[in-house]
Amino acid sequence: MANKVVLDQPSMQRALTRITYEILEHNKGGQNLILVGVKTRGEYLAHRIADRLEQLEGEKIPVMAIDITDYRDDRLDHDTQLGLNEQERLNIVDQNIVLVDDVLFTGRTTRAALDALIQIGRPKTITLAVLIDRGHRELPIRADFVGKNIPTAQNEKIQVMVDEIDGEDAVVIEH
Amino acid sequence: MERHLILEDGTVFSGQGFGAPATTFGEIIFDTASSGYQETITNPIYDGQMIVFAMPVVGADGIHAEAYESINPKIRGMIVHDLAEVSTNRQRRMNLDRFLQQYNIPGLAQVDTRKLIRHLRETGSQKATIVDVVDEHAKDQLAATVLTNKQVQNTATPKAYANPGRGFHIIVIDFGLKHGILRVLGDYDANVTVLPYTTSVDEVLTLDPDGIILSTGPGNPEDLPESVLTLIRVLQTKVPMLGIGLGHELFALANNSALAALPAEYHGMNHPIQEIISKEIIYARQGRGYVVDPDELDSKKLFVTHRDMIDHSIQGLRHREYPAFSVQFFPDGAPGPEEAKRVFLDFFETVVDYVQKNN
Repeated sequence: MANKVVLDQPSMQRALTRITYEILEHNKGGQNLILVGVKTRGEYLAHRIADRLEQLEGEKIPVMAIDITDYRDDRLDHDTQLGLNEQERLNIVDQNIVLVDDVLFTGRTTRAALDALIQIGRPKTITLAVLIDRGHRELPIRADFVGKNIPTAQNEKIQVMVDEIDGEDAVVIEH
Repeated sequence: MERHLILEDGTVFSGQGFGAPATTFGEIIFDTASSGYQETITNPIYDGQMIVFAMPVVGADGIHAEAYESINPKIRGMIVHDLAEVSTNRQRRMNLDRFLQQYNIPGLAQVDTRKLIRHLRETGSQKATIVDVVDEHAKDQLAATVLTNKQVQNTATPKAYANPGRGFHIIVIDFGLKHGILRVLGDYDANVTVLPYTTSVDEVLTLDPDGIILSTGPGNPEDLPESVLTLIRVLQTKVPMLGIGLGHELFALANNSALAALPAEYHGMNHPIQEIISKEIIYARQGRGYVVDPDELDSKKLFVTHRDMIDHSIQGLRHREYPAFSVQFFPDGAPGPEEAKRVFLDFFETVVDYVQKNN
């Protein structure tokens, strides 16, 4: 099994930087913005984007993490627990939510995250930022902010590694 | 032969003439970079200027075909401490002395350039002349000289031309561009069309660009016609845009911000520049007589992306609503560090995004 690095550390940083600029452009500033990271790696990426926004705007943008394990439509043991406990929950009503995930693939994770979000309130808008869009969508979902489009085969595995838990920043394809 | 440099404030520096024995007038500035004299003297941003080199020995590399930043040098004089006496470069074609003779540009060597640069740092850029004899007549001539403010007209292309490639269609609006920009666009195999700065919005959009670059150039940006600012204001809403050097200054002016003239121009490559968003430090060739005034920045339209860590000047801007950004420094290197080339990478990634969203 061969691994191929498709995004190294500097390119990953630059991709997050560009996503941040695009979020600011799209949102016309940092106001009423909440970043929601999809656990696990999306959460770290959301914090990185929030740090960058803070560098530019001088304000801390709230970050929330959601765990969508219980919302996946491919898991049958659906007991509709919310993906986050009460303390972690921010008031998302009328806010502009940017959902942050590492890889956009079938779109099922995103759908699950949308379900989880909508259960806790009605945001003004939800947009989607992903580090990697690898194609093969099974649902009508697209990302608003993409770090890098990487066309893949169905059977390839894309792994996003973040320094916080994996000890390095990189995106690799496992063949 | 002994020749002399007279400054507007009356100070005289003497040295040995080289290059052409011509008498010229120009604005005197200094360059603190330690390499790249050929790129520097051929960079059109120095149109009408005399350059003092802080590097103690200049000329040791000769003149090379690959180190031109424009076809004809437009400087008015070159002042150095020591001129390296090399007969030829390794291709045995040309040395600095003969090169300057060919373009009728005088040089002055054996000058105490450290003293001269200290003096210019204190007194600022000013008019100067290189002459054979220092007398009242020479000083009167200098005092009476009015330097041109038409540097962009002197250096920018009057006609559109193409530099074809197979990649994205990039339009360069030419204000006196340095070759480095075209060289990097070539690295990306961009299909480049260079247009004069008098181009209209319709002429640009008819060509269906994927991205627009506002080039580097000489002189005071406020001497350019208002139509240039209108052009930028309209195009930035339609196509990804990157402004460099003079292009950056014009991008700021077009977005309701103002510039400030520096007391002494800065030309060098040793200032650390911080990319604010990532806190990363990069080095780049810099050359500027003007900066965006931080007190006059319209922060509803623009925000600061890069800062010079030495003088804290604004080195990069980005529009809040459009994929348009600019850098004061020269990201193409030529001469100087190449790490700032990532600015072009950012630009092309923005272009890819734009093309994907609009197809």
